[in-house]
Amino acid sequence: MAELFVEAWAPEYGNPFEADVDLADPDKIDDTVEIEGVWEPIPGVDDGVATVAFVDGVRRVDARLTIDEPTGPIPGICGTYAVGAACWHRQVPRTDIERVRVERLAVFGHGAVAPVPVAGPQISYRSESVSGTDPEELVQRFHGAMRRAEAVLSETLAQEGCFVVADGPINDLSATEKVGFIKTHRAPYLSAERIPVVASLRRGQRTPLFLIGRDGAFPRYSWYQRLADLPGGHSWTGVVRAEVSSHLDLATARRIADRTTAVLPLVASEPQVEPRAPQNLVPIAALERRLRRHMGDPLLINRALRSAVARQRRAVGVSP
Amino acid sequence: MDEVPANRVGPGAGVGRVLGTEHTTTSGFRVVLNDDDYLQLDDLVVVRTEVPKVGEVRTYGVVTESEAIYEGAQYESDTHRIAGEGILPAAKVRSARVAVTRVDPEIWVSPDPGEVVERAAGEERRKALYVDEMGRPLPIGMGRDGEPVYVDLDFFDGRKGGHMSISGISGVATKTSFALFFLRLLSGRPDILGEGAANLRVLVFNVKGEDLLWLDKPNRFFDAEAAHIWERLEVPAHPFPSVSFWAPPRPSSGDVVVPDTGGRQEGVAAFTWTPREFIDEGLLRFLFTDSDDTRNQIPFIEERVRAQLSRFAVDVEGSPGAVVLRDPSEGHRPGERVIPHRGEPVITDLRSMVDAISRFVDPEDGSEPDQKWAGRVQMGTVSAFVRRLHAAVSRVGHLVRAGESRRIDRTRHQVTVVAIQSLHDLGQRFVVGALLAETFVEKETTGQRLPLSVVVLDELNKYAPRDGTSSLKDMLIDIAQRGRSLGVLLVGAQQTASRVAQEVMENASIKVAGRLDAAEAERAEYGWMLPSTRARARLLKPGTMVLSQPSIPVPLVVEFPFPPWATRKEEVDERGEDPFAGL
Repeated sequence: MAELFVEAWAPEYGNPFEADVDLADPDKIDDTVEIEGVWEPIPGVDDGVATVAFVDGVRRVDARLTIDEPTGPIPGICGTYAVGAACWHRQVPRTDIERVRVERLAVFGHGAVAPVPVAGPQISYRSESVSGTDPEELVQRFHGAMRRAEAVLSETLAQEGCFVVADGPINDLSATEKVGFIKTHRAPYLSAERIPVVASLRRGQRTPLFLIGRDGAFPRYSWYQRLADLPGGHSWTGVVRAEVSSHLDLATARRIADRTTAVLPLVASEPQVEPRAPQNLVPIAALERRLRRHMGDPLLINRALRSAVARQRRAVGVSP
Repeated sequence: MDEVPANRVGPGAGVGRVLGTEHTTTSGFRVVLNDDDYLQLDDLVVVRTEVPKVGEVRTYGVVTESEAIYEGAQYESDTHRIAGEGILPAAKVRSARVAVTRVDPEIWVSPDPGEVVERAAGEERRKALYVDEMGRPLPIGMGRDGEPVYVDLDFFDGRKGGHMSISGISGVATKTSFALFFLRLLSGRPDILGEGAANLRVLVFNVKGEDLLWLDKPNRFFDAEAAHIWERLEVPAHPFPSVSFWAPPRPSSGDVVVPDTGGRQEGVAAFTWTPREFIDEGLLRFLFTDSDDTRNQIPFIEERVRAQLSRFAVDVEGSPGAVVLRDPSEGHRPGERVIPHRGEPVITDLRSMVDAISRFVDPEDGSEPDQKWAGRVQMGTVSAFVRRLHAAVSRVGHLVRAGESRRIDRTRHQVTVVAIQSLHDLGQRFVVGALLAETFVEKETTGQRLPLSVVVLDELNKYAPRDGTSSLKDMLIDIAQRGRSLGVLLVGAQQTASRVAQEVMENASIKVAGRLDAAEAERAEYGWMLPSTRARARLLKPGTMVLSQPSIPVPLVVEFPFPPWATRKEEVDERGEDPFAGL
């Protein structure tokens, strides 16, 4: 009978083991790009990379909006997202939070756009619209804006010579040294005979590379690696998946994979201080905390918005 | 939207900004420091706040604590991640706590968060320390910033307040050194002391060692650094220019009167009182200063005997200062000199006086005491009284002798040092009592505040203890309460303020403390200190004092320089000249 485990992750974060069906199509996976024969764990190699930039973003819906049209109410949301980088200067050693950008965005359905009144210094929303009315679609648009901002920042930093580790799958597949770092396992990408090698990984080891999304729009090299050997964990505890653009040549991809496998365990979090240990990396957790602070106090913003809208209504003579 | 600046605080105006994550108040606030600056304890700062309807209000303050933390660290182990591995981003945030000293104009509002905090320098510093409002600011030492700290003399010399109280542990608190330093400033800055400087008289008791017997000698360890500070204080770095030294005579020196001092004989005069002076000034009361003495009826009989002595005493022809006791009913006139009858006991010292008193109150033939002398007190009380008198003979007997007057002449020099360290406790209290009474009576008679008379008394707890009563304690309380208007100013020092009579402590306008015992520092007597000052008072170095004065609401820390006068024989510069005269 299979063994049962309680995940160390706090329940509100969801299960780190979730299915991602899209990319897991066996036809689009090539698990022979690096090793054709029997897979063995590969130890990582720390090449002493000087600066590692961890890129991440956070978002928050500040308020739900409604445009009261004669034809019926049009839903909208307004929210704030922030992106930035935690740059780990390994020689110093010190990590600095850099390039923080805060953006406020309102998204309306039905293709409608209404200006959101300025609610205070640094509380002004840009308005966009989507054609549908599904609230999920509004949030998706908002989320996409944040992901794009993350991608732009990652690419900028990579071009400046940083080794970029982005939280989540990579969107921009240009041939720069960016690694996407996926904490949750949505689907087993590997075939039944390859899978057991993941369980046999020790801290600082990885699987051989495999190509996913072959022949598709977003092909990339990927691998599994273990961040920490946590006592009492199941065979996949502490395992993350990482990916790089397949526009990089294979040798470079292997070098980056080796480096990532060696370096990320150094910044893995510990279960006593982090509910998503070890996957939530220490610099990324700190970056998220900082970004949330830069977004401003949600209660304060919500009140400021209500006041601004009320002021506007009074100004145009609409009774409350 | 623009990029948000990086996580560290860059250089900016001033030294930092008023912290905005907690409430600022009119009593204090915190400052977040710029990366490229610092504030240390006792630094003075100023913040400008724009107040609606009022305009700019400046808040002045003094730094009472300095703090630093990693912002972004949530767990103690994060410190390793930040400083050791460098994988956790964090900002080192340094801050300082400020106690408000002044708000100008007096609109009592708290400073705005985020306002720039600047060091108070020049005129701003003077304002922070209320120097601009002081009647007569006297630099009383240096602040940590190397600039003078001032005390308002109006609160010392009786105009608005009087007296100074100095507390601290023996040996490290440098109480006496500070008192003398202060005296030197008083005598060295007539320009500030003003009218009180003329004929200023200082009475200093040397109660331990012989530290004060070298005030007129240069100190050979005095260096250029100290000289520089004296220069900043604008006081000549010389020993006291006008000092006289007095000591009791050696107890068994026979007819030759030799001062009872160890290291120094030259320039020290022996002092005694004649029986006539003893009786006229009622010094008998200072033989009963032990607090035990007041628990029975001894004061009653002492008072009676004192009165009778002064009625009965008649001068003796050919023996200055000696007296015989004759009943006033025999009809002698004041100032009359008589030739003693054959066999009539002549009082030439304390022993013969005690014998004469005994004849009235406790006759040897066992007959009843003379009720005019002993009153109706019980025999036991009379015996106790006589027993104490006899004890006094062996302890202070050598201080009373007929012959030429050797009383202390306080007018001869500006500073009069009276060395009583060789005397028994009883003798010390006797001398202190006698001299204080003399000083006080003198001023009471004139009723004038000027010229000022300053008295420096260490171990005040011995003379004015919190518990019990004695004529000496009563007098010290009297001085504390009325001395201010009569120009008698007490500079009292004690290890523990909690053991000194409350009335004496309460009347001291200027309070000073050196290093304090940890338990002592927590007592109510030190309520004038801030909690942070109190914690620091346990660590103060010799030469550093905490000073409180009515014109500044927070205590200040001052450092006073090494003295140019010697405090031990070994320190005396034998060359006799000031090696830094040219500096």
